[in-house]
Amino acid sequence: MSSEAILACRTCQAQLLPDDRYCEQCGTRVTVEPAEELPAEGGCSACKAPAEEIGADGYCSRCGIRQRTPHDRQEIDLVLAAGVSDRGRVHRRNEDALHLETTGENGIVVVVCDGISSSVSPDVAARSAADAAGGVLADALHRKSNALSDETTNAIHAAQQAVLGVPWTPHPGRDSPSCTLVSAACRDGELVIGWVGDSRAYWIAGQDSRQLTVDDSWTQEQITAGLMSAAQAGSDPRAHEITRWLGADAPEEEPQLVTIRPAEPGRLVLCSDGLWNYAPNATDIATLLDALPSGTTALAAAHSLTDTALAKGGRDNITVAIVDIQTPRREHA
Amino acid sequence: MSTFTADTYQNEYLPLGATEVNAVVTVTSSDGAIAANSADAAEIVIVDVSGSMSAPRAKLRAAKDATAVAIDCIRDDVMFGVIAGSMTATPVYPASGTLVAASASTREEAKQAVARLKAADGTAIGTWLALANQLFSTSPDTICHAILLTDGQNEHETPEDLERVLADCEGSFQCDCRGVGTDWEVSELRSIASALLGTVDIIAEPSNMAADFQSMIEQAMGKATNNVSLRLWTPQGANVAYVKQVAPTIEDLTIRATPVDALTGDYPTGAWGQESRDYHLCIHVQPRDAGEEMLAGRFSLLVGEALVSQALIRAVWTDDEQLSTRINREVAHYTGQAELAEVIQEGLEARKSGDEETATYKLGRAVQLASASGNDGTMKLLSSVVDVDDAATGTVRLKRSVDDADEMALDTRSTKTVRVQKHEP
Repeated sequence: MSSEAILACRTCQAQLLPDDRYCEQCGTRVTVEPAEELPAEGGCSACKAPAEEIGADGYCSRCGIRQRTPHDRQEIDLVLAAGVSDRGRVHRRNEDALHLETTGENGIVVVVCDGISSSVSPDVAARSAADAAGGVLADALHRKSNALSDETTNAIHAAQQAVLGVPWTPHPGRDSPSCTLVSAACRDGELVIGWVGDSRAYWIAGQDSRQLTVDDSWTQEQITAGLMSAAQAGSDPRAHEITRWLGADAPEEEPQLVTIRPAEPGRLVLCSDGLWNYAPNATDIATLLDALPSGTTALAAAHSLTDTALAKGGRDNITVAIVDIQTPRREHA
Repeated sequence: MSTFTADTYQNEYLPLGATEVNAVVTVTSSDGAIAANSADAAEIVIVDVSGSMSAPRAKLRAAKDATAVAIDCIRDDVMFGVIAGSMTATPVYPASGTLVAASASTREEAKQAVARLKAADGTAIGTWLALANQLFSTSPDTICHAILLTDGQNEHETPEDLERVLADCEGSFQCDCRGVGTDWEVSELRSIASALLGTVDIIAEPSNMAADFQSMIEQAMGKATNNVSLRLWTPQGANVAYVKQVAPTIEDLTIRATPVDALTGDYPTGAWGQESRDYHLCIHVQPRDAGEEMLAGRFSLLVGEALVSQALIRAVWTDDEQLSTRINREVAHYTGQAELAEVIQEGLEARKSGDEETATYKLGRAVQLASASGNDGTMKLLSSVVDVDDAATGTVRLKRSVDDADEMALDTRSTKTVRVQKHEP
């Protein structure tokens, strides 16, 4: 996070302190802009050719290696929580969105949305939904609301309204703007997860690692109904169809919620299918994270998971957010 | 000038450690006002009048008739001329040693001059091309095209002499070659046509000459954009294994490269009408780590020195076998078509030298490839040389007696490819 960049309140222009989450004068929430990874100033990252050798299309005109641009990747580092959203290797733009902020006392809000590529303006839908839900949850934590489950439902309703507000023109064969959403509101060892679609949350803590969300997907329905094994459903052409989403044509059902109060420290991982396609089970993600040196920061862990998905092909946009849950306050649990 | 587009078809995903990048680039030119100005085109018809043309007598008569048809196809204002070739080359029309603008009266005079031609003497094709080159040089800034009609082998000059002339002519004009009868060498005429970016074919029946001449002239007159070249950039440490035109015919352009700088080479493609051509590029690169993307080739299309279109050839290394093992249809298709041309030429060579086992194997493989890719034209030509027992497995028997003309037709047309059914890139 570049705290130096946050100098004044966007509403009343009052000066802010680096760690302020709300303006002391008017109470406006301080928006944390995603930090962007800029290309190395020294030119080509591979052959060290000078910057003028990098073409407008991002390829080095000497060694041919593609340089990563700010639009390819967004990163947010709040120390205890961090996230990466990456274009991947196949898609030409990033249609995922990540919202991550700390608020109130020890409160952390994470929202990951995945724009549905068969729809119009999926990137705008995902960005609008993530910020709308994130805003509602941050306000709830700031108000010290005691009903985080209800607040999560409200946040997802707000996200749905935000997606409905995305301007669009109909395209033959393409749906109205739509996206998935998974959110987490974390405070004092209580984690409330809400979701629509197949973006996921995992609790990663050694033997206790598990997937917290249950996909709203055709595959999951088959498995739940006992009609198919995970392997059978996974190889079906409909495997990637989701049954619920946010958008004008979305089924009208309440979002799914789950609350956990972990007894031991661990890591909460929220991600889009760009990651979990390559590491579907909680144990897969646990193995990847356990392989990192102890003391690895949330940001470094998010980097590592993203790099794994990129190395395996990066066929979809990849978004990973990690929240370190270090000291659960048992007296509140 | 035409509008050019270039589209890449490839599987950019490579397994870790892989170094070979393959891609097919389809170049299409459209919307060109066809030779908007006829004065921008020049055409020379070169007729073989060596002694062999008079045996049988119908051969020379058919060649004269065909030349007359070609002359009739030349549009008004196109600069044209006719050359008679034997041991030396003679400007038949105009006799002045320049070209003349086509009109009703000049076309009539040219046809009368052609009608008076007599056959005698030997064959030195290099001298004919050298004269054509000299005549074209009197009409600068034109799209220059020649038709070469011969019935014999190039017996009266050394291969080195011919090569020297070809090197002089390259880039000055394009030349389509036609062999009449069965006494000429396919490989000889093919090397002339390749060097001069033209086609080669057999005219077995002299009576068919006129129709073929007409279509060649019409095609030459349909060229709207001259001097089109491919420019291929590859990264440091890369090596261009080959650059081949693979549709409508196979032409290996690899050795035709003119270096622009250490990483870039230009390949000539001549003049373009409204048409589409496919190129298969194979580039060897230094492997990178999983997830890294390299631009393995930047394929640019130039008219003169102006960039008109571009296509990127990418390489992305991955350990995801689902991605890296995916076969690109276009690349696979043209790899098959190139092998088809190769096994036909090798099979016919083996047959000539009496190696029936190799001939049967190679031509059997050709039948298999032609049948699988739906190359009906080549399949039909193959069936005049072999009896097909089972096309799917390539089981064939060599025919005991084969018409020379059929065999030569198969040889000349072995490089004709069929295109793969296109889908969106």
